[in-house]
Amino acid sequence: MKRLIATALCGIMTVGLLTGCGAKDNGTVADDPSVKVINLWSFTDEIPNMVKKYCDMHPDFGYEVKTTIVATTDGAYQPALDAALQGGGADAPDMYAAEAAFVLKYTQGDASSYAATYKELGIDVDQKIKDAQIASYSVEIGTRPSDGEVVALGYQATGGAFIYRRSIAKDVWGTDDPATIKEKIGGGSGSWDTFWKAAADLKAKGYPIISGDGDIWHAIENSSDKGWVENGKLVIDPKREEFIDISKKLMDNGWHNDTRDWQDGWFADMKKDGTAFGFFGPAWLINYTIGANCESENGDTSYGDWAVCQSPIGFFWGGTWVLGNKNSKVKNAVGKLIEWITLDTSETGLQYMWANGTLNGEGGTKDTVASGTVMAKSNGELAFLGGQNMFDVFVEANKYANGKNLTQYDEGINQAWRDQVRAYTSGQKDRETAIKDFKQTVADTFSTITVE
Amino acid sequence: MKRKGVSYAKWGYIFSAPFAIGFLLFMLYPIVNTFLMGFTDMVGVAKLTEPMHVNPAGIFKVYNDLLHNKTFGKSIVTTFILWILNFIPQITVALVLAAWFTNDRLKIKGKGFFKVVFYLPNIITAASVAVLYSSFFQYSKEVMGPANELFMKLGLIDQPMDFFVNRSATRWIVIFIQFWMWYGYTMIVLISGILGISPELFEAADIDGANGFQKFLYVTIPSIKTILLYTFITSLIGGLQMYDIPYLLTQGNGEPDGAIRTTSVFIFKQAFGNVPSYNVAAAASMIMFIIIGILSAIVFFLMRDKDEAELHKLIKRQEKEYKAKLKAEKAQGGK
Amino acid sequence: MSTYDNQLTEMSEEQFRHNQKEKKVLKTLAHIGIYTVCIIFTLLSLIPFWFMISNATRTTSQIYGKSLSLVPSTHLVENYKALMKTDEKGQASSSGTQNFDPVTGFRNSFIVSAGATVLAIYFSTLTAYAIVVYDWKLKRAFFTFIMAVMMIPTQVTAIGFYLMVFRVHLNGTLWPLILPSIASPAMVFFMKQYMQPALSLEIIQSARIDGAGEFYTFNKIALPIMKPAMATQAIFAFVSSWNNLFLPSILLSSNAKLKTLPMMVALLKGDIYKVNMGALYLAITISILPLFIVYFALSKYIIAGVALGSVKG
Repeated sequence: MKRLIATALCGIMTVGLLTGCGAKDNGTVADDPSVKVINLWSFTDEIPNMVKKYCDMHPDFGYEVKTTIVATTDGAYQPALDAALQGGGADAPDMYAAEAAFVLKYTQGDASSYAATYKELGIDVDQKIKDAQIASYSVEIGTRPSDGEVVALGYQATGGAFIYRRSIAKDVWGTDDPATIKEKIGGGSGSWDTFWKAAADLKAKGYPIISGDGDIWHAIENSSDKGWVENGKLVIDPKREEFIDISKKLMDNGWHNDTRDWQDGWFADMKKDGTAFGFFGPAWLINYTIGANCESENGDTSYGDWAVCQSPIGFFWGGTWVLGNKNSKVKNAVGKLIEWITLDTSETGLQYMWANGTLNGEGGTKDTVASGTVMAKSNGELAFLGGQNMFDVFVEANKYANGKNLTQYDEGINQAWRDQVRAYTSGQKDRETAIKDFKQTVADTFSTITVE
Repeated sequence: MKRKGVSYAKWGYIFSAPFAIGFLLFMLYPIVNTFLMGFTDMVGVAKLTEPMHVNPAGIFKVYNDLLHNKTFGKSIVTTFILWILNFIPQITVALVLAAWFTNDRLKIKGKGFFKVVFYLPNIITAASVAVLYSSFFQYSKEVMGPANELFMKLGLIDQPMDFFVNRSATRWIVIFIQFWMWYGYTMIVLISGILGISPELFEAADIDGANGFQKFLYVTIPSIKTILLYTFITSLIGGLQMYDIPYLLTQGNGEPDGAIRTTSVFIFKQAFGNVPSYNVAAAASMIMFIIIGILSAIVFFLMRDKDEAELHKLIKRQEKEYKAKLKAEKAQGGK
Repeated sequence: MSTYDNQLTEMSEEQFRHNQKEKKVLKTLAHIGIYTVCIIFTLLSLIPFWFMISNATRTTSQIYGKSLSLVPSTHLVENYKALMKTDEKGQASSSGTQNFDPVTGFRNSFIVSAGATVLAIYFSTLTAYAIVVYDWKLKRAFFTFIMAVMMIPTQVTAIGFYLMVFRVHLNGTLWPLILPSIASPAMVFFMKQYMQPALSLEIIQSARIDGAGEFYTFNKIALPIMKPAMATQAIFAFVSSWNNLFLPSILLSSNAKLKTLPMMVALLKGDIYKVNMGALYLAITISILPLFIVYFALSKYIIAGVALGSVKG
């Protein structure tokens, strides 16, 4: 019906405007020329600011972008977005953002039917992905299984590496060279064996290899062959099951400081007096977490004492994906924005500016971006990393990350799993009970998952 | 102008009409919707806007499953434990404080200040409260956290402990937070009830020579019975729907190991989880509604108005007996 | 009464003095106990605010290093600038868009909270009055019904509510957050419980004899008697409406001009890894300030030691 109206309107307008009407070769429909507003939904002001930048750079864009930002902190973003998608009308989102924690619901899960394919948005997506060398995990997550089409892509690369302390490396192995340390911890080996040897070396000198078991979880989660749910059944992949033993091993051997993410102890390990050797994380962990917390109260700092190398097993952590609404009347305009954000590799594209820290003028934070092409021609040297070019490592890291073993249930199941692992590790219950209780919780919490 | 003998009944309808209209406009649909959802197969956001239809697996399937859902069953027990253990100290402390602050003979200086200050914890949002307490009780091997530091100094513990892997420690923390957030509120409600008592009653008791405790027992408590009923019922409802602190204090699913997974946390996870099971959430809500309804009915029955007259008589009789006893004692003392 | 008096005079003076002394000691002991308890509770009530204010003067790095500190730091102005985006320094969002706009936030929060509170107070008292004062056929059923509504868990009904609001396109307006408080079951219950012993039907009867209309009697006689109850309930209603975050986030977000203060605070948390913690605590402190003002303004009804509601002056 909406298409009909759009086409009818188009017909009326043909007299004056011959261009841009009718279906294009790849099946897109022209934008409704009466609509001059794009509704953008997001959970932070990151994408809205990018769009603003686009409008500033393209004064002839001709659309007003109306931004709706709902914080994810209290769980209101998804219900609000869902209601708006379902409600339709002039207020419905034309373009919306989804975070790694819940993106699967919008690209592959039950809300995926609202998404427009990038092709519908007028983007030559297959070719562009190749040209831009977009990390495969990002594409895998953004691909809708029902038709195999790409409906979402990210702009930021969140492939993870091992971020370690140079001074500790020197103390233990006599060198802080990333290539050597990569060998020492088994970077890129696909197994943890070498990593445990390094942990023992470090422990002998009094250093735990990581801060808490949460640090290693993302890598383990991402290393599994199967996701948590297959054909409606709970699957415990052996690699994920092994986390319970790894967590116990780390605890018993004193290979970590028993900290939790985002708590004082964890942050203390980022400061000068911190004892943990390293963290598993993407570039944002370097820029916004370790970098922002490297200074102690007394002015001591660990700035410059860090380096990155390949993680034993590839993974990604976090990220934001951008989607268009299939019911939008301004799909081509939305497509222009999304393409500029996710696939444009030129020096006036978003990602180039983002990677070189020039989005808001010179000297901004350099971030890893989805496009390998862009990173290859950008300068990722950070003084914080003692002048190391982080892109060398992160381009590889993006390739190793896996986007195939994820399901829309992950957030809740991971939560239940880590809870039971913690109960076992802290000695509250035995291994068998922990796994049994985990299965019980999953079965009781998700009515659509069968547990054997 | 009304003539004598006119019935005022219609004013009852007129005055309650705004409530009824407000209810019909804003609450009827959501409630009916919730009631019906439990009998459908609504799982996943896409189903929300589709027309409802009866669950093909059986109309009572969801209810039936819930009765066998161990996690739900445990959450009911947890809810009761957390509620009862915070409500008893809460109402006791609130009553004692209310008695102190309304007793003019005690001449407590700064009682106005205390009354105002004790309600303050209720002003902060639950989110901030949760952040505060989880920071206070945090632990790691090297950074022990403020609570551990304090408890070690006081000699309560020998070595720092990880409170949030310990089920009972976490429960006690939640119980304390709930107490701390709500005793001031309860106290204010009770004080407002006490202030509504006619001063003549107290004057009469004074003349009778009753001491502070006697006045509290024989004048205050019976006079605020209606308000006490309100406190019991609303605390029951609020307590059995306890949600924000258990949800926000740990990772959000009643960690550790379901120690603080209340029914409302369970329901929230069902309704707003990754793949929401609206039907389960709705059915669980209805089960909680029935439990709350039955318990409220019991409380109402125990404190019912019909007994008021009898209770009154009883109190009078006790008072008389007490006075007689006083007399006898005095007579003895006078010898 | 007279025998009692006689007994008093019969008491020997010595004994009387002794009793007085004993009483004094007891009273002192009681006072020590009472003040100890009160001071402990006072500290427990105030410490969180001190932590909050103290953190508003600290940097993100300081807060992440030690999340609670009784000793304030020196970065208040810096945090304020970051919060108001007058300075591009630190972790503050690098954009020109201002998320935290306390004036707009205050206005929206105030309209919602004050509107909801006034409606809830007035109509709940009116409904309670209908139940307490008049005899009508459906009264009992009506009251039972109100009680039942109060007992329904709110989480799932909230879904139905916001879907309904979206369907009638009232999202992006303040109305769905204000108007429903006309029907506030818990408050009706409180008002009814309070009114039953406090409001004497004789007064109403005499007002009628004097020729007062029913609405007049309610507004001029019942309402003043209900003042303490209304004040306490107003505080509770205002606070809970002010702190409400979930429904406003869902219903108001699509209209950028209608953000409430707590919504603005929530947005500051945005990306967990890019939060300016000092500015966040400052924002929380700022968003609580109006609550304090409203609370202290209404608290005279809590402080007052006399029965304000009594008809006697």
